[in-house]
Amino acid sequence: MMLGDVLQEFVERCNANPRLTAMNRDWTRDVAILATDTGEIFWIQSAEGQLSAGAGAKSGADLEIRADGDVLAAIFSGQMAPTEPYNQGDLLVHGSQDDLLRLDVITLMIWGE
Amino acid sequence: MAQRALTKVLPLRTAVSTSAGLASAAVNFLATVDVAMYVGGRSAWLAILVAGALIVLTASNFSELNGLFPSAAAIRVWTRRGLNDRLSLAASLVYATTVVFVIAADAFVLAHVFQAAIPAVPGILWVVVILGVTALFNLRGVRVAGLVQDTNAFVLLGTLSVISIMVIANGPAMPVASLFHLGPRWIQGVALGVFIFVGFEWVSPLAEEFQDARAIPRGMYMALGLIAMAFGLFALAVADVFPNPTSLASSLVPQLVVGQRALGPWGFWWMAGVTLTTAMTTFNGGLVSASRFVYALARERSLPRSWARLNARLVPARALLGLTALALVLALMVYATKQYTLLIDAGAGVESLMYALTTILIIQLRRREPNRPRPYRAFGYPVLPVVVGLVFVGLATGALTTPTTPAGTPWALIFVLGLTAAATIYVMFGLPRKRRASKRPTRSLGKVDKSPKA
Repeated sequence: MMLGDVLQEFVERCNANPRLTAMNRDWTRDVAILATDTGEIFWIQSAEGQLSAGAGAKSGADLEIRADGDVLAAIFSGQMAPTEPYNQGDLLVHGSQDDLLRLDVITLMIWGE
Repeated sequence: MAQRALTKVLPLRTAVSTSAGLASAAVNFLATVDVAMYVGGRSAWLAILVAGALIVLTASNFSELNGLFPSAAAIRVWTRRGLNDRLSLAASLVYATTVVFVIAADAFVLAHVFQAAIPAVPGILWVVVILGVTALFNLRGVRVAGLVQDTNAFVLLGTLSVISIMVIANGPAMPVASLFHLGPRWIQGVALGVFIFVGFEWVSPLAEEFQDARAIPRGMYMALGLIAMAFGLFALAVADVFPNPTSLASSLVPQLVVGQRALGPWGFWWMAGVTLTTAMTTFNGGLVSASRFVYALARERSLPRSWARLNARLVPARALLGLTALALVLALMVYATKQYTLLIDAGAGVESLMYALTTILIIQLRRREPNRPRPYRAFGYPVLPVVVGLVFVGLATGALTTPTTPAGTPWALIFVLGLTAAATIYVMFGLPRKRRASKRPTRSLGKVDKSPKA
C-alpha cells in the first residue's frame, strides 16, 4: 500500500474512534510528513477532533516527521510502534514533544490492545 | 531535504536556562563545600573552573551527537547507533538513574534548609510534602510554567554571584598564593567539581523543539560559563566565611550562611527561598524527563509494558509514581544516614563515564555514518576528544573511589557497580525472555487506562 493510502486509512480509523475524537477535540495541529528516501511530502491536519490528510507541502507546520517511506508506512499502518524507529534514530521529529507523545498515543489507541 | 519552518520553536534563552537550570541543583551548594574540603579551601574556585573547562570539551562532543541525531531519546539513540542495542540500554538505564540521585540529594539539602529555617517542623516532612505535591501536579498534567523554569536558573545564578561578591568584597583580603594552592587531593576536588555541572547536557532531549541546530551548543556553552562563574564566586565566598576547611564539614546549609553574611536575615531567607524553588524545579524537571524516558523504553518493550500506561491526562502515571517512590526512599535513606556525599560521588562518577562515552560515540559514528550531515563537529577531532575521554575516565575513577565513610569504604563505587550489574543482568537475561514472552501477532505495547478527558 502506498504511503498516501496508508495515511488516509489512518485518518479514517482515527475519525471513527469516539475516544480519539474526544481526546483530540482541543488538539489543533498541522503535521508535515516527509519520506526521506523518495522525497514525498504529506500532511495530516487535526482540528476539532477530526483528522484529515493529503499529499504535498502546506505552509507552516507544528510538527514535522521524517523517515524512510517504508518506516512511515509501517508506523501509520500499525505494523510498528513509532517509539521503535524513534529510539533507533530512524525516525526524526521536529516540534513539540507533547505533540509527538499525542501522535504516539493515537497510534496506540488505534492498534494498541 | 531542506528544513521547513515550524510555527512554534523555542528561543536560545530557553536553551541557556534549561541547560543551566538542570545543572543547577540545590545539592550543588554542598558539592561546592565538598570541593573546598578536598582542595583545602581557597583554591576550590580553580578546581571548579578546571572542571568547567573540561566539561566544555565534553559539550562539544554532545553538540556533534545532537546535530547528528536531534532526538528526545538522545543517549538511547546515540549509543544504539554507535554501539549496539544491549550496551545502549544498559548505559541508558544507569544514566537515567542519575536523575533520581540528584532528586534525592536535593531533597536532603531541602530538608536541612527548612530544618534551619523552621526548626519546629522536621525537615524530612517538607521533603515528603514537596515531592508529593510535585508528583501530584505532574499526574494532573499541570506543568511548572516554562517561564518559572526559565527564570529560576537565572535568579539562582544571579543571586549566588551577587551575594558571593558582597561577601568577598566585605571580607578580609585573601593571600593570593592561597587562591592557587593545590593540595594533595586537588584532582579529586576537580572530579567532584564535575558534579556541579552535571545535567547541563540534559537540554539535548529538547533538540527537536529548536529551529536552529546551533541553539543547543550555544545554550550549553553559555550555561556552563554562567555556572562556572556563579559557583566559582560562591566557592570564594565559602572560603571567606569558613576560613578553616575542616569547619566546612559541619555545614549542611552553606548558602544560608553566606546569604546571612551578605544581607543578614534578608539574605538568609532569600537563599532559603531560592533553594526551595531550585529543589522544586529539580524535582519537576527530573520527574518529567525521567518518566517520559521510562515510558519510551516501555513502549519499545525494553521495560515492563505496564510502565507505558498513561492516565487520563496522557501522563505516564506508573512511571512517574515509581520514580517518585524511588527518589523518596533514597532521600529518606540519605537523610537518615547523612551520606549525601555518596550521591555526589556516584553522580559525578556516572556522569564522567558518560562524558567519556561520548568520545567513543563520536569516533564510532564518524566511522559508521561518515556521510550523515553534521551541523556541528567536535573540537580538535580526534586528538582532543580522545584526551578528554581519558581524562574523564580518570575523574570517574577519582570520584567513585573517594572514601565516603571514616572507615575509608568507597561506597559510591560499590553502589554504581551494583547498579551497573543489575542493569546488565536485566539486559542480558531478563529482557530477551520478556521480549519473547510479549511477542504477539498484533502489536500490543501499552495501555491507556480510560478515555482521556477533553
